[in-house]
Amino acid sequence: MPESSGINAAVVVTAGPPMQAPVTWRLSRHARRLVTLAIAGLLIAVLARRPEFAGLAAPALLLLLPAGSARPATVGVALAAGTGDRLTEGERATILVRVTGAAGFDAQVRLQAAAWIAAEPGVLGADGWFRLPFRSQRWGRRPVGTLELTLHDRWRLVQGRLRVDAPTAFCYPLPARLESRVVLSKLPTRLGEHPARVAGEGNEFSGVREFVPGDRQRRINWPATTRRGTLQLNTFAAERAQVVVILMDVSADVGEAGTSTADLAVRAAAGVGASYLAARDRVGLISFGARVRWISPAAGRRQADRIMNLVMTDSGDGERVDAVSRLPHAALPPGALIVVVSPLLSLRLVEALRELRERGFATIVIDVLCSEPAVGAGLVSGAALRLLGGRLMTGRYRRLEMAGLARRVWRMEQDAIRFSLRELGIPVVRWDGQSSLDEPLAPYTRRAMVNRA
Amino acid sequence: MTRYSARFPAPAALAVVALAAAAVLCAALPMHGASRGAKPVLIVAALCAAGSVAQLAGRMLAQGAARPAESYLPTLTGLASRAWAATAAVPWPQLLLVAVLVLEVLHPSRPWHTVLLGLILLGYLLALHLAETGARVFVLRGQLRLIAAGAALGAVSVGAGLLPAGAGSGWLTAVAGVAAVIAAGLALPV
Repeated sequence: MPESSGINAAVVVTAGPPMQAPVTWRLSRHARRLVTLAIAGLLIAVLARRPEFAGLAAPALLLLLPAGSARPATVGVALAAGTGDRLTEGERATILVRVTGAAGFDAQVRLQAAAWIAAEPGVLGADGWFRLPFRSQRWGRRPVGTLELTLHDRWRLVQGRLRVDAPTAFCYPLPARLESRVVLSKLPTRLGEHPARVAGEGNEFSGVREFVPGDRQRRINWPATTRRGTLQLNTFAAERAQVVVILMDVSADVGEAGTSTADLAVRAAAGVGASYLAARDRVGLISFGARVRWISPAAGRRQADRIMNLVMTDSGDGERVDAVSRLPHAALPPGALIVVVSPLLSLRLVEALRELRERGFATIVIDVLCSEPAVGAGLVSGAALRLLGGRLMTGRYRRLEMAGLARRVWRMEQDAIRFSLRELGIPVVRWDGQSSLDEPLAPYTRRAMVNRA
Repeated sequence: MTRYSARFPAPAALAVVALAAAAVLCAALPMHGASRGAKPVLIVAALCAAGSVAQLAGRMLAQGAARPAESYLPTLTGLASRAWAATAAVPWPQLLLVAVLVLEVLHPSRPWHTVLLGLILLGYLLALHLAETGARVFVLRGQLRLIAAGAALGAVSVGAGLLPAGAGSGWLTAVAGVAAVIAAGLALPV
């Protein structure tokens, strides 16, 4: 692996073996001009019978002589393997390229960036490796672009070009920040870090009670004993882990790419997952997209990787979209906290949430709908048509008026959906994708969220 | 890695402007002895000189600047961008070379003047090369001998041009024809 030379050498791309790439050689721009001067001068000399034009062409002709030197038909292109294994949105990474078999030629490498990749100027290190920095501006598995290699001879009379596909980058979404967590009032009997209501062997002080034989003497609360006259003992809250299932709704993707509802849902899901996994909770994920896919709750670093992989990839497998309420026990264990990240545009999902609530799951919805239809942009919802009774309206003003009315109806529908969920006991908080998730979730992180289980 | 850098040196760019203007003027003056078609060719040569200078300036300005995607440009800006791209794709320096040579051939025979014009054109091409690649002038050191040999051949051709008609001009024409074939052969394999 080449040494780093001032640029972050962490590469988060897969690297292939060194390859032999064919080079396409052609005259350089400079050489083409010399050829033009030489040929034009010689032709005029012949046609006009004026030998001084041949003398005019002579220097250009002589300068072209080195262009006939030997040129390699293929060169070796090596792409360096990376030291890192993950790239996050906005993070800088570097592709390392080495050209071999082109001695005597100047090489230049340029990265023709693909969509959502921002390429920066590359530099050649002292170790002979070109370093081509880039940033991935959006999560997902995406090609970085094409590497354009240009070879020049000493006099820049000929130039060789070849193109090599740059490796694919695996870019994880930038997780939303979440420091505080929603904790259920009744937690399963699994050792964890959340203080439960029941007394146990945790660290958080719970209260005092009278000493009974068998209690540990080091827990005697002497000030309380002095006040009450009998031996009093400190009690502590048990520390439990909870099961969190993130339901990520990417069935609808509206808004500008990069800040669309799917982008926000993915970032929020990644942030919630990372936060609860850091608290040693068991976290599962249900991806509600074209199909329903899930990962059963588990804890640990590998689970974080599994969640990220599920978030990033859409392999096309999974169950039909109406299968949320029929998910297996392992995917939706009883007593789990369900954190739904959704724009709430899918009525099937809303129905599924109602069913889940009826089954006793504690559910909280993070609403990521940050855009609404523009007036005059082809917005005629079914509700609006029904409301207008199919009356024919003509004229631009009428159309705009109808579109505005449709948007109001659409807003009312959205408000009604959220109101109905709140009425069922499902809190709905709105997240704009910019701030920390702590802000919208603050009312539910200050105290334990009551659940039936 | 390379003796060529990514920057455009201003002295080379100024030399391009000066040599392009000098080539056009050298080929045009004096106009009173030129044939009838010299004036339109002079206009074409001047336009080509301006085009080549503008093309070089555009490359200097565009270097390092991020180019927005075409689909995101407003209509007028997009049209202007495409028009500029089409203009920049025209090989102005080659057209200038041809126009200047045609302008020169429209004048009565003046061998020394023609060879001097050839050296100006060669200087223009080398300055353009240095300006585009950002190279220092010393990279041409290795080519000085070739340039000197070319200049010597030019001097020989001047001598041939000063010979009275018929005295060896036939074989000189044949040599020029063979050289033209060699020049074309150099261009074809690559």
